[in-house]
Amino acid sequence: MIGALLLSFLMQGQPTLLTTEPPSIVAALTHETVEIREDFSGQDLVLYGATRGLTIQDEIVVVLRGPGRDLRVMEKQRTFGIWVNSAPLEFEDIPSYYAIATSLPLEDIATPESLAGSGIGLPATLAIRAAPTASETGRDIRPYLDAIARDGRRDDLYAEAQRGVEILDGGLFRATISLPPLTPVGNYVAEVYLFRDGRAVASRTASLRVEKAGLERFVYQFAHSMPWLYGLFCVAMAVLAGYVAYVAFNRR
Amino acid sequence: MQIYLPIAEISVNVFLLLGLGAGVGFLSGMFGVGGGFLMTPLLFFIGIPPAVAVSTEANQIVASSASGALAHWRRRTLDAKMGGLLLVGGASGSIFGVQLFAFLRSLGQIDLIISLSYVGFLGIVGGLMFFESARAIWRRSRGDQRRSGVGTGRRKRGWIDRLPFKMRFPTSGLYISVIPPVVIGFFVGTLAAIMGVGGGFVMVPAMIYILRMPTNVVVGTSLFQILFVTALTTVLQAGQNQTVDIVLAMLLTVGGVVGAQFGARAGRHIKAEELRALLAFMVVAVCLKLGWDLVVTPADLFEVLGQDGSAH
Repeated sequence: MIGALLLSFLMQGQPTLLTTEPPSIVAALTHETVEIREDFSGQDLVLYGATRGLTIQDEIVVVLRGPGRDLRVMEKQRTFGIWVNSAPLEFEDIPSYYAIATSLPLEDIATPESLAGSGIGLPATLAIRAAPTASETGRDIRPYLDAIARDGRRDDLYAEAQRGVEILDGGLFRATISLPPLTPVGNYVAEVYLFRDGRAVASRTASLRVEKAGLERFVYQFAHSMPWLYGLFCVAMAVLAGYVAYVAFNRR
Repeated sequence: MQIYLPIAEISVNVFLLLGLGAGVGFLSGMFGVGGGFLMTPLLFFIGIPPAVAVSTEANQIVASSASGALAHWRRRTLDAKMGGLLLVGGASGSIFGVQLFAFLRSLGQIDLIISLSYVGFLGIVGGLMFFESARAIWRRSRGDQRRSGVGTGRRKRGWIDRLPFKMRFPTSGLYISVIPPVVIGFFVGTLAAIMGVGGGFVMVPAMIYILRMPTNVVVGTSLFQILFVTALTTVLQAGQNQTVDIVLAMLLTVGGVVGAQFGARAGRHIKAEELRALLAFMVVAVCLKLGWDLVVTPADLFEVLGQDGSAH
Protein backbone atom coordinates (compact mmCIF):
# COMPACT_ATOMS: atom_id res chain seq x y z
CA MET A 1 0.00 0.00 0.00
CA ILE A 2 2.71 2.45 1.00
CA GLY A 3 4.78 1.23 -1.91
CA ALA A 4 1.94 1.86 -4.33
CA LEU A 5 1.46 5.30 -2.87
CA LEU A 6 5.13 6.08 -3.23
CA LEU A 7 5.13 4.74 -6.74
CA SER A 8 2.20 6.89 -7.72
CA PHE A 9 3.97 9.89 -6.21
CA LEU A 10 7.08 9.15 -8.17
CA MET A 11 5.20 8.63 -11.41
CA GLN A 12 3.34 11.89 -11.04
CA GLY A 13 6.62 13.66 -10.83
CA GLN A 14 5.30 16.50 -8.75
CA PRO A 15 3.96 15.20 -5.48
CA THR A 16 1.21 17.33 -4.05
CA LEU A 17 1.75 17.51 -0.37
CA LEU A 18 -1.88 18.24 0.36
CA THR A 19 -3.04 14.83 -0.80
CA THR A 20 -2.47 12.05 1.58
CA GLU A 21 -4.83 9.52 0.04
CA PRO A 22 -4.80 7.86 -3.35
CA PRO A 23 -7.34 9.53 -5.66
CA SER A 24 -10.63 7.69 -5.96
CA ILE A 25 -13.99 8.54 -7.41
CA VAL A 26 -17.59 7.43 -6.96
CA ALA A 27 -20.58 8.39 -9.06
CA ALA A 28 -24.28 7.70 -9.46
CA LEU A 29 -26.91 8.68 -11.99
CA THR A 30 -30.21 10.18 -10.93
CA HIS A 31 -31.94 7.53 -13.04
CA GLU A 32 -31.15 3.86 -13.44
CA THR A 33 -33.67 3.51 -16.23
CA VAL A 34 -35.06 6.03 -18.67
CA GLU A 35 -38.48 5.19 -20.02
CA ILE A 36 -39.47 6.19 -23.50
CA ARG A 37 -43.18 6.81 -23.46
CA GLU A 38 -45.47 8.37 -26.05
CA ASP A 39 -44.65 11.86 -24.80
CA PHE A 40 -40.86 11.33 -24.75
CA SER A 41 -39.03 14.26 -26.29
CA GLY A 42 -35.66 13.91 -24.63
CA GLN A 43 -34.60 13.96 -21.01
CA ASP A 44 -31.86 15.43 -18.87
CA LEU A 45 -29.82 13.14 -16.69
CA VAL A 46 -27.75 14.25 -13.77
CA LEU A 47 -24.71 12.35 -12.62
CA TYR A 48 -23.53 13.05 -9.10
CA GLY A 49 -20.20 12.03 -7.80
CA ALA A 50 -17.66 12.42 -5.10
CA THR A 51 -13.91 12.23 -5.23
CA ARG A 52 -11.36 11.59 -2.62
CA GLY A 53 -8.05 13.32 -2.90
CA LEU A 54 -9.20 15.95 -5.38
CA THR A 55 -6.67 18.68 -5.91
CA ILE A 56 -6.97 21.98 -7.66
CA GLN A 57 -5.23 20.69 -10.78
CA ASP A 58 -7.53 17.69 -11.11
CA GLU A 59 -10.22 17.55 -13.73
CA ILE A 60 -13.22 15.31 -14.19
CA VAL A 61 -14.46 13.73 -17.40
CA VAL A 62 -17.86 12.04 -17.68
CA VAL A 63 -18.72 9.86 -20.67
CA LEU A 64 -22.13 8.35 -21.40
CA ARG A 65 -22.00 5.71 -24.09
CA GLY A 66 -25.03 4.10 -25.73
CA PRO A 67 -25.41 0.58 -27.12
CA GLY A 68 -23.20 -0.32 -30.07
CA ARG A 69 -24.64 -0.91 -33.51
CA ASP A 70 -23.30 -1.91 -36.88
CA LEU A 71 -23.20 0.80 -39.52
CA ARG A 72 -22.63 1.07 -43.20
CA VAL A 73 -21.28 4.35 -44.46
CA MET A 74 -21.48 5.18 -48.15
CA GLU A 75 -19.94 7.97 -50.11
CA LYS A 76 -22.13 9.75 -52.61
CA GLN A 77 -20.68 10.00 -56.06
CA ARG A 78 -22.09 11.71 -59.09
CA THR A 79 -23.13 9.16 -61.69
CA PHE A 80 -24.90 10.31 -64.86
CA GLY A 81 -25.66 13.62 -63.17
CA ILE A 82 -27.27 12.20 -60.03
CA TRP A 83 -25.74 11.43 -56.66
CA VAL A 84 -25.51 7.72 -56.00
CA ASN A 85 -24.40 5.99 -52.80
CA SER A 86 -21.25 4.03 -53.51
CA ALA A 87 -18.03 2.77 -51.91
CA PRO A 88 -19.67 1.33 -48.79
CA LEU A 89 -17.67 0.58 -45.66
CA GLU A 90 -19.04 -1.46 -42.78
CA PHE A 91 -18.30 -0.61 -39.17
CA GLU A 92 -19.11 -2.74 -36.17
CA ASP A 93 -20.15 -1.81 -32.67
CA ILE A 94 -20.17 1.95 -33.13
CA PRO A 95 -21.81 3.64 -30.12
CA SER A 96 -25.28 4.85 -31.02
CA TYR A 97 -24.95 7.56 -28.40
CA TYR A 98 -21.85 9.28 -27.07
CA ALA A 99 -21.88 12.25 -24.77
CA ILE A 100 -18.92 13.69 -22.95
CA ALA A 101 -19.00 16.30 -20.23
CA THR A 102 -15.83 17.77 -18.79
CA SER A 103 -14.77 20.26 -16.17
CA LEU A 104 -12.46 21.97 -18.67
CA PRO A 105 -12.30 21.76 -22.48
CA LEU A 106 -11.06 18.24 -23.20
CA GLU A 107 -8.00 19.41 -25.10
CA ASP A 108 -6.86 21.29 -21.99
CA ILE A 109 -7.22 18.21 -19.81
CA ALA A 110 -5.11 15.75 -21.75
CA THR A 111 -3.20 15.41 -24.98
CA PRO A 112 -4.88 13.73 -27.96
CA GLU A 113 -2.34 10.88 -27.66
CA SER A 114 -3.22 10.26 -24.04
CA LEU A 115 -6.94 10.35 -24.83
CA ALA A 116 -6.49 8.01 -27.78
CA GLY A 117 -4.60 5.59 -25.56
CA SER A 118 -7.38 5.47 -23.00
CA GLY A 119 -10.15 5.59 -25.59
CA ILE A 120 -11.76 8.72 -24.17
CA GLY A 121 -13.50 11.18 -26.46
CA LEU A 122 -15.42 10.56 -29.64
CA PRO A 123 -12.48 10.51 -32.09
CA ALA A 124 -10.59 8.00 -29.96
CA THR A 125 -13.66 5.83 -29.46
CA LEU A 126 -14.51 5.77 -33.16
CA ALA A 127 -10.90 5.08 -34.12
CA ILE A 128 -10.69 2.09 -31.77
CA ARG A 129 -14.00 0.61 -32.93
CA ALA A 130 -13.16 1.16 -36.59
CA ALA A 131 -9.70 -0.41 -36.39
CA PRO A 132 -10.85 -3.82 -37.75
CA THR A 133 -12.48 -2.16 -40.76
CA ALA A 134 -9.37 -0.13 -41.42
CA SER A 135 -7.08 -3.14 -41.32
CA GLU A 136 -9.39 -5.33 -43.41
CA THR A 137 -9.98 -2.87 -46.22
CA GLY A 138 -6.73 -0.93 -46.11
CA ARG A 139 -8.62 2.18 -47.15
CA ASP A 140 -8.47 5.66 -45.69
CA ILE A 141 -11.34 5.54 -43.24
CA ARG A 142 -10.96 9.03 -41.78
CA PRO A 143 -13.60 10.69 -44.00
CA TYR A 144 -15.98 7.88 -43.09
CA LEU A 145 -15.40 8.34 -39.37
CA ASP A 146 -15.91 12.09 -39.76
CA ALA A 147 -19.21 11.31 -41.49
CA ILE A 148 -20.30 9.10 -38.58
CA ALA A 149 -19.42 11.89 -36.14
CA ARG A 150 -21.34 14.50 -38.19
CA ASP A 151 -24.33 12.20 -38.47
CA GLY A 152 -24.45 11.65 -34.72
CA ARG A 153 -24.06 15.35 -33.92
CA ARG A 154 -26.86 16.24 -36.33
CA ASP A 155 -29.32 14.24 -34.22
CA ASP A 156 -27.69 15.33 -30.91
CA LEU A 157 -26.67 11.71 -30.35
CA TYR A 158 -23.04 12.74 -30.13
CA ALA A 159 -22.58 15.66 -27.82
CA GLU A 160 -19.76 17.40 -26.07
CA ALA A 161 -20.32 19.68 -23.09
CA GLN A 162 -17.19 21.64 -22.28
CA ARG A 163 -17.46 22.56 -18.62
CA GLY A 164 -20.53 20.30 -18.35
CA VAL A 165 -19.06 19.04 -15.10
CA GLU A 166 -19.46 21.35 -12.14
CA ILE A 167 -17.04 20.83 -9.30
CA LEU A 168 -18.68 21.60 -5.98
CA ASP A 169 -17.20 21.93 -2.54
CA GLY A 170 -15.77 19.00 -0.67
CA GLY A 171 -14.76 16.97 -3.68
CA LEU A 172 -18.32 16.67 -4.96
CA PHE A 173 -19.20 17.15 -8.59
CA ARG A 174 -22.26 17.13 -10.81
CA ALA A 175 -22.64 16.57 -14.55
CA THR A 176 -25.75 17.17 -16.62
CA ILE A 177 -26.20 15.09 -19.76
CA SER A 178 -29.16 15.41 -22.05
CA LEU A 179 -30.71 12.54 -23.95
CA PRO A 180 -32.19 13.78 -27.25
CA PRO A 181 -35.60 12.78 -28.70
CA LEU A 182 -33.90 10.20 -30.93
CA THR A 183 -32.28 8.38 -27.99
CA PRO A 184 -31.93 4.69 -28.92
CA VAL A 185 -33.04 2.02 -26.49
CA GLY A 186 -30.56 -0.32 -24.85
CA ASN A 187 -27.89 -0.50 -22.18
CA TYR A 188 -25.81 2.60 -21.55
CA VAL A 189 -22.57 2.91 -19.63
CA ALA A 190 -21.50 6.03 -17.79
CA GLU A 191 -17.77 6.32 -17.19
CA VAL A 192 -16.31 8.87 -14.85
CA TYR A 193 -12.60 9.67 -14.93
CA LEU A 194 -10.45 11.68 -12.61
CA PHE A 195 -7.64 13.27 -14.61
CA ARG A 196 -4.41 14.43 -13.06
CA ASP A 197 -1.55 15.80 -15.12
CA GLY A 198 -3.12 14.59 -18.33
CA ARG A 199 -3.68 11.03 -17.17
CA ALA A 200 -6.74 9.25 -15.87
CA VAL A 201 -5.82 8.26 -12.32
CA ALA A 202 -9.17 6.93 -11.17
CA SER A 203 -12.35 5.87 -12.85
CA ARG A 204 -15.77 4.47 -12.10
CA THR A 205 -18.64 3.18 -14.19
CA ALA A 206 -22.37 3.26 -13.69
CA SER A 207 -25.02 1.76 -15.89
CA LEU A 208 -28.24 3.06 -17.33
CA ARG A 209 -31.01 1.37 -19.24
CA VAL A 210 -33.15 3.13 -21.80
CA GLU A 211 -36.33 1.26 -22.61
CA LYS A 212 -39.70 1.77 -24.17
CA ALA A 213 -42.61 1.82 -21.75
CA GLY A 214 -46.37 2.05 -21.78
CA LEU A 215 -48.05 2.18 -25.18
CA GLU A 216 -44.70 2.47 -26.96
CA ARG A 217 -43.50 -0.76 -25.44
CA PHE A 218 -46.78 -2.54 -26.15
CA VAL A 219 -46.90 -1.55 -29.83
CA TYR A 220 -43.20 -2.23 -30.39
CA GLN A 221 -43.37 -5.66 -28.79
CA PHE A 222 -46.56 -6.53 -30.64
CA ALA A 223 -44.99 -5.50 -33.95
CA HIS A 224 -41.84 -7.52 -33.30
CA SER A 225 -43.10 -10.61 -31.51
CA MET A 226 -46.20 -11.25 -33.65
CA PRO A 227 -45.48 -9.29 -36.83
CA TRP A 228 -48.05 -10.99 -39.08
CA LEU A 229 -50.84 -10.66 -36.54
CA TYR A 230 -49.81 -7.04 -36.00
CA GLY A 231 -50.04 -6.45 -39.78
CA LEU A 232 -53.55 -7.90 -39.85
CA PHE A 233 -54.47 -5.75 -36.87
CA CYS A 234 -53.19 -2.60 -38.67
CA VAL A 235 -55.28 -3.47 -41.72
CA ALA A 236 -58.35 -4.17 -39.57
CA MET A 237 -57.96 -0.80 -37.84
CA ALA A 238 -57.60 0.97 -41.17
CA VAL A 239 -60.67 -0.75 -42.64
CA LEU A 240 -62.62 0.13 -39.51
CA ALA A 241 -61.50 3.77 -39.78
CA GLY A 242 -62.50 3.80 -43.45
CA TYR A 243 -65.89 2.31 -42.62
CA VAL A 244 -66.51 4.84 -39.85
CA ALA A 245 -65.61 7.64 -42.25
CA TYR A 246 -67.95 6.21 -44.87
CA VAL A 247 -70.85 5.94 -42.42
CA ALA A 248 -70.19 9.35 -40.91
CA PHE A 249 -69.90 11.29 -44.15
CA ASN A 250 -71.87 9.40 -46.79
CA ARG A 251 -75.23 9.15 -45.04
CA ARG A 252 -77.31 11.81 -46.64
CA MET B 1 -47.55 18.36 -28.32
CA GLN B 2 -44.90 15.81 -29.20
CA ILE B 3 -45.64 12.14 -29.67
CA TYR B 4 -43.03 9.42 -29.84
CA LEU B 5 -43.78 7.01 -32.67
CA PRO B 6 -43.10 3.43 -31.53
CA ILE B 7 -41.88 1.98 -34.85
CA ALA B 8 -40.45 5.06 -36.57
CA GLU B 9 -38.67 5.72 -33.23
CA ILE B 10 -38.75 9.47 -33.50
CA SER B 11 -40.66 12.17 -31.70
CA VAL B 12 -42.98 14.23 -33.90
CA ASN B 13 -45.55 16.93 -33.22
CA VAL B 14 -49.06 15.47 -33.16
CA PHE B 15 -50.58 18.54 -34.79
CA LEU B 16 -48.03 18.42 -37.60
CA LEU B 17 -49.13 14.86 -38.39
CA LEU B 18 -52.84 15.68 -38.11
CA GLY B 19 -52.24 18.76 -40.26
CA LEU B 20 -50.32 16.80 -42.90
CA GLY B 21 -53.12 14.22 -42.94
CA ALA B 22 -55.75 16.94 -43.27
CA GLY B 23 -53.84 18.89 -45.93
CA VAL B 24 -53.14 15.88 -48.12
CA GLY B 25 -56.67 14.58 -47.39
CA PHE B 26 -58.09 17.90 -48.56
CA LEU B 27 -56.17 17.73 -51.84
CA SER B 28 -57.03 14.07 -52.35
CA GLY B 29 -60.71 14.77 -51.70
CA MET B 30 -60.62 17.71 -54.08
CA PHE B 31 -58.84 15.91 -56.90
CA GLY B 32 -60.16 12.42 -56.24
CA VAL B 33 -56.69 10.93 -55.89
CA GLY B 34 -55.27 8.82 -53.07
CA GLY B 35 -52.62 11.29 -52.00
CA GLY B 36 -49.97 8.66 -51.31
CA PHE B 37 -47.68 10.27 -53.87
CA LEU B 38 -47.77 13.48 -51.81
CA MET B 39 -47.81 12.00 -48.33
CA THR B 40 -44.88 9.61 -48.67
CA PRO B 41 -42.38 12.31 -49.80
CA LEU B 42 -43.73 14.63 -47.08
CA LEU B 43 -43.08 11.92 -44.49
CA PHE B 44 -39.49 11.66 -45.79
CA PHE B 45 -39.11 15.42 -45.45
CA ILE B 46 -40.19 15.42 -41.77
CA GLY B 47 -37.65 12.70 -40.99
CA ILE B 48 -39.66 9.48 -40.93
CA PRO B 49 -37.32 6.68 -42.09
CA PRO B 50 -38.22 5.85 -45.74
CA ALA B 51 -38.94 2.20 -45.01
CA VAL B 52 -41.42 3.16 -42.28
CA ALA B 53 -42.96 5.95 -44.37
CA VAL B 54 -43.64 3.67 -47.34
CA SER B 55 -45.14 0.83 -45.28
CA THR B 56 -47.18 3.10 -43.03
CA GLU B 57 -48.55 5.05 -45.97
CA ALA B 58 -49.79 1.77 -47.46
CA ASN B 59 -51.67 1.24 -44.20
CA GLN B 60 -53.21 4.70 -44.36
CA ILE B 61 -54.31 4.16 -47.97
CA VAL B 62 -56.21 1.06 -46.79
CA ALA B 63 -58.38 3.36 -44.67
CA SER B 64 -58.96 6.01 -47.33
CA SER B 65 -59.62 3.55 -50.15
CA ALA B 66 -61.93 1.48 -47.92
CA SER B 67 -64.36 4.35 -47.42
CA GLY B 68 -64.20 5.26 -51.14
CA ALA B 69 -64.61 1.67 -52.32
CA LEU B 70 -67.61 1.19 -50.01
CA ALA B 71 -69.33 4.22 -51.52
CA HIS B 72 -68.73 2.92 -55.06
CA TRP B 73 -69.83 -0.58 -54.06
CA ARG B 74 -73.13 0.83 -52.86
CA ARG B 75 -73.62 2.82 -56.06
CA ARG B 76 -72.64 -0.23 -58.16
CA THR B 77 -69.99 1.85 -59.92
CA LEU B 78 -67.40 -0.87 -59.50
CA ASP B 79 -66.48 -3.73 -61.82
CA ALA B 80 -65.72 -6.47 -59.28
CA LYS B 81 -64.70 -9.00 -61.93
CA MET B 82 -62.16 -6.66 -63.50
CA GLY B 83 -61.10 -5.57 -60.00
CA GLY B 84 -60.51 -9.19 -59.06
CA LEU B 85 -58.32 -9.74 -62.09
CA LEU B 86 -56.34 -6.55 -61.43
CA LEU B 87 -56.02 -7.80 -57.88
CA VAL B 88 -54.49 -11.12 -58.97
CA GLY B 89 -51.78 -9.14 -60.73
CA GLY B 90 -51.63 -6.60 -57.92
CA ALA B 91 -51.11 -9.20 -55.20
CA SER B 92 -48.20 -10.81 -57.05
CA GLY B 93 -46.81 -7.33 -57.78
CA SER B 94 -47.02 -6.43 -54.11
CA ILE B 95 -45.24 -9.63 -53.01
CA PHE B 96 -42.54 -8.97 -55.62
CA GLY B 97 -42.31 -5.30 -54.63
CA VAL B 98 -41.82 -6.02 -50.92
CA GLN B 99 -38.96 -8.43 -51.75
CA LEU B 100 -37.44 -5.91 -54.14
CA PHE B 101 -37.73 -3.24 -51.46
CA ALA B 102 -35.90 -5.42 -48.92
CA PHE B 103 -33.21 -6.26 -51.49
CA LEU B 104 -32.60 -2.64 -52.49
CA ARG B 105 -32.53 -1.66 -48.84
CA SER B 106 -29.79 -4.23 -48.23
CA LEU B 107 -27.78 -2.60 -51.03
CA GLY B 108 -28.22 0.85 -49.46
CA GLN B 109 -29.92 2.13 -52.60
CA ILE B 110 -33.56 2.24 -51.55
CA ASP B 111 -33.75 6.02 -51.16
CA LEU B 112 -32.35 6.53 -54.63
CA ILE B 113 -34.74 4.02 -56.22
CA ILE B 114 -37.73 5.56 -54.42
CA SER B 115 -36.73 9.04 -55.59
CA LEU B 116 -36.08 7.88 -59.16
CA SER B 117 -39.44 6.07 -59.27
CA TYR B 118 -41.18 9.20 -58.06
CA VAL B 119 -39.41 11.47 -60.50
CA GLY B 120 -40.10 9.11 -63.40
CA PHE B 121 -43.75 8.37 -62.73
CA LEU B 122 -44.79 11.76 -61.45
CA GLY B 123 -42.99 13.38 -64.38
CA ILE B 124 -44.72 11.23 -66.98
CA VAL B 125 -48.18 11.24 -65.42
CA GLY B 126 -48.04 14.91 -64.39
CA GLY B 127 -46.76 15.97 -67.78
CA LEU B 128 -49.43 14.03 -69.68
CA MET B 129 -52.19 15.31 -67.42
CA PHE B 130 -50.94 18.84 -67.73
CA PHE B 131 -50.95 18.83 -71.54
CA GLU B 132 -54.28 17.03 -71.68
CA SER B 133 -56.01 19.50 -69.37
CA ALA B 134 -54.31 22.51 -70.93
CA ARG B 135 -55.64 21.37 -74.31
CA ALA B 136 -59.13 20.90 -72.84
CA ILE B 137 -59.08 24.39 -71.34
CA TRP B 138 -57.76 25.84 -74.63
CA ARG B 139 -60.52 24.11 -76.60
CA ARG B 140 -63.23 25.27 -74.26
CA SER B 141 -62.00 28.85 -74.41
CA ARG B 142 -62.25 28.70 -78.21
CA GLY B 143 -65.78 27.38 -77.89
CA ASP B 144 -64.89 24.11 -79.59
CA GLN B 145 -67.69 21.70 -78.78
CA ARG B 146 -66.05 18.59 -80.24
CA ARG B 147 -65.89 15.97 -77.51
CA SER B 148 -62.59 14.24 -77.11
CA GLY B 149 -64.31 12.01 -74.52
CA VAL B 150 -62.79 8.67 -73.81
CA GLY B 151 -64.91 5.54 -73.60
CA THR B 152 -67.45 7.07 -75.95
CA GLY B 153 -67.59 6.25 -79.62
CA ARG B 154 -66.33 3.13 -81.29
CA ARG B 155 -63.06 1.64 -80.24
CA LYS B 156 -60.37 0.96 -82.72
CA ARG B 157 -59.11 -2.60 -82.79
CA GLY B 158 -55.56 -2.60 -81.45
CA TRP B 159 -52.93 -5.02 -80.26
CA ILE B 160 -54.87 -5.44 -77.01
CA ASP B 161 -57.68 -7.15 -78.90
CA ARG B 162 -55.37 -9.68 -80.49
CA LEU B 163 -54.19 -11.16 -77.18
CA PRO B 164 -55.50 -14.60 -76.16
CA PHE B 165 -57.48 -15.69 -73.04
CA LYS B 166 -60.42 -13.39 -73.61
CA MET B 167 -63.04 -12.90 -70.95
CA ARG B 168 -66.33 -11.05 -70.73
CA PHE B 169 -66.71 -8.14 -68.28
CA PRO B 170 -70.43 -7.38 -68.18
CA THR B 171 -70.22 -4.37 -65.85
CA SER B 172 -67.68 -2.62 -68.07
CA GLY B 173 -69.24 -4.00 -71.27
CA LEU B 174 -65.86 -5.35 -72.40
CA TYR B 175 -64.65 -8.57 -74.02
CA ILE B 176 -60.87 -8.50 -73.70
CA SER B 177 -57.88 -10.65 -72.88
CA VAL B 178 -57.06 -11.21 -69.20
CA ILE B 179 -53.37 -10.47 -69.83
CA PRO B 180 -53.45 -6.63 -69.82
CA PRO B 181 -55.38 -6.31 -66.52
CA VAL B 182 -53.08 -8.79 -64.79
CA VAL B 183 -49.96 -7.04 -66.13
CA ILE B 184 -51.26 -3.60 -65.15
CA GLY B 185 -52.23 -4.93 -61.72
CA PHE B 186 -48.77 -6.43 -61.22
CA PHE B 187 -47.07 -3.21 -62.21
CA VAL B 188 -49.23 -1.09 -59.90
CA GLY B 189 -48.80 -3.59 -57.04
CA THR B 190 -45.02 -3.32 -57.37
CA LEU B 191 -45.21 0.48 -57.35
CA ALA B 192 -47.43 0.39 -54.27
CA ALA B 193 -44.86 -1.63 -52.35
CA ILE B 194 -41.84 0.42 -53.40
CA MET B 195 -43.26 3.93 -53.49
CA GLY B 196 -45.88 3.80 -50.72
CA VAL B 197 -48.66 4.88 -53.04
CA GLY B 198 -51.98 3.35 -53.98
CA GLY B 199 -51.09 3.69 -57.63
CA GLY B 200 -54.38 5.27 -58.68
CA PHE B 201 -52.46 7.84 -60.70
CA VAL B 202 -51.12 5.04 -62.92
CA MET B 203 -54.11 2.71 -62.66
CA VAL B 204 -56.83 5.18 -63.67
CA PRO B 205 -55.14 6.33 -66.90
CA ALA B 206 -54.21 2.71 -67.70
CA MET B 207 -57.83 1.62 -67.28
CA ILE B 208 -59.11 4.45 -69.44
CA TYR B 209 -56.53 4.45 -72.21
CA ILE B 210 -55.36 0.81 -72.34
CA LEU B 211 -58.32 -1.26 -71.12
CA ARG B 212 -60.83 1.36 -72.39
CA MET B 213 -63.15 0.84 -69.45
CA PRO B 214 -66.14 3.17 -69.13
CA THR B 215 -65.16 6.14 -66.95
CA ASN B 216 -68.02 5.67 -64.47
CA VAL B 217 -66.56 2.39 -63.13
CA VAL B 218 -62.89 3.33 -63.37
CA VAL B 219 -62.50 5.10 -60.01
CA GLY B 220 -64.53 2.53 -58.04
CA THR B 221 -62.65 -0.40 -59.57
CA SER B 222 -59.31 1.27 -59.01
CA LEU B 223 -60.18 1.90 -55.34
CA PHE B 224 -61.33 -1.71 -54.97
CA GLN B 225 -58.00 -3.01 -56.27
CA ILE B 226 -55.98 -0.46 -54.27
CA LEU B 227 -57.80 -1.43 -51.05
CA PHE B 228 -56.76 -5.05 -51.31
CA VAL B 229 -53.27 -4.47 -52.65
CA THR B 230 -52.38 -1.93 -49.94
CA ALA B 231 -53.88 -4.24 -47.29
CA LEU B 232 -51.65 -7.05 -48.52
CA THR B 233 -48.65 -4.71 -48.71
CA THR B 234 -49.28 -3.59 -45.12
CA VAL B 235 -49.39 -7.18 -43.84
CA LEU B 236 -46.27 -8.15 -45.83
CA GLN B 237 -44.28 -5.09 -44.72
CA ALA B 238 -45.35 -5.62 -41.09
CA GLY B 239 -44.66 -9.35 -41.19
CA GLN B 240 -41.38 -9.22 -43.03
CA ASN B 241 -39.80 -5.87 -42.26
CA GLN B 242 -41.63 -4.65 -39.09
CA THR B 243 -41.93 -1.20 -40.60
CA VAL B 244 -45.63 -0.37 -40.16
CA ASP B 245 -46.21 2.29 -37.51
CA ILE B 246 -49.83 2.06 -36.46
CA VAL B 247 -49.71 5.22 -34.33
CA LEU B 248 -48.44 7.23 -37.31
CA ALA B 249 -50.98 5.60 -39.64
CA MET B 250 -53.90 6.35 -37.33
CA LEU B 251 -52.93 10.00 -36.83
CA LEU B 252 -52.60 10.52 -40.59
CA THR B 253 -55.90 8.71 -41.15
CA VAL B 254 -57.83 10.89 -38.69
CA GLY B 255 -56.53 14.05 -40.34
CA GLY B 256 -56.99 12.60 -43.81
CA VAL B 257 -60.60 11.54 -43.35
CA VAL B 258 -61.67 14.99 -42.18
CA GLY B 259 -59.58 16.81 -44.80
CA ALA B 260 -60.97 14.69 -47.62
CA GLN B 261 -64.54 15.70 -46.82
CA PHE B 262 -63.73 19.40 -47.01
CA GLY B 263 -61.65 18.82 -50.12
CA ALA B 264 -64.50 17.02 -51.87
CA ARG B 265 -66.80 19.95 -51.11
CA ALA B 266 -64.25 22.50 -52.32
CA GLY B 267 -63.68 20.47 -55.49
CA ARG B 268 -67.29 20.82 -56.56
CA HIS B 269 -66.81 24.54 -57.12
CA ILE B 270 -63.95 24.14 -59.59
CA LYS B 271 -64.23 23.06 -63.22
CA ALA B 272 -62.98 19.57 -64.02
CA GLU B 273 -60.27 20.67 -66.50
CA GLU B 274 -58.97 23.32 -64.15
CA LEU B 275 -58.93 20.80 -61.34
CA ARG B 276 -56.91 18.42 -63.50
CA ALA B 277 -54.51 21.19 -64.49
CA LEU B 278 -54.00 22.08 -60.82
CA LEU B 279 -53.42 18.46 -59.91
CA ALA B 280 -50.97 18.11 -62.81
CA PHE B 281 -49.17 21.21 -61.62
CA MET B 282 -48.85 19.75 -58.12
CA VAL B 283 -47.65 16.39 -59.40
CA VAL B 284 -45.00 18.09 -61.54
CA ALA B 285 -43.94 20.28 -58.59
CA VAL B 286 -43.32 17.23 -56.35
CA CYS B 287 -41.47 15.58 -59.24
CA LEU B 288 -39.23 18.62 -59.77
CA LYS B 289 -38.47 18.95 -56.06
CA LEU B 290 -37.42 15.28 -55.81
CA GLY B 291 -35.53 15.50 -59.10
CA TRP B 292 -33.67 18.60 -57.92
CA ASP B 293 -32.62 16.80 -54.74
CA LEU B 294 -31.08 14.06 -56.88
CA VAL B 295 -28.84 16.38 -58.89
CA VAL B 296 -27.96 19.14 -56.44
CA THR B 297 -24.75 18.56 -54.51
CA PRO B 298 -25.85 17.16 -51.13
CA ALA B 299 -24.93 18.94 -47.89
CA ASP B 300 -23.13 15.83 -46.71
CA LEU B 301 -21.34 13.68 -49.26
CA PHE B 302 -21.49 10.68 -46.96
CA GLU B 303 -24.50 8.74 -45.83
CA VAL B 304 -24.60 6.73 -42.62
CA LEU B 305 -26.95 3.78 -42.82
CA GLY B 306 -28.05 1.15 -40.33
CA GLN B 307 -27.02 -2.41 -41.02
CA ASP B 308 -30.37 -3.05 -42.73
CA GLY B 309 -29.56 -0.24 -45.16
CA SER B 310 -32.01 2.28 -43.78
CA ALA B 311 -31.03 5.70 -42.59
CA HIS B 312 -31.61 5.16 -38.90
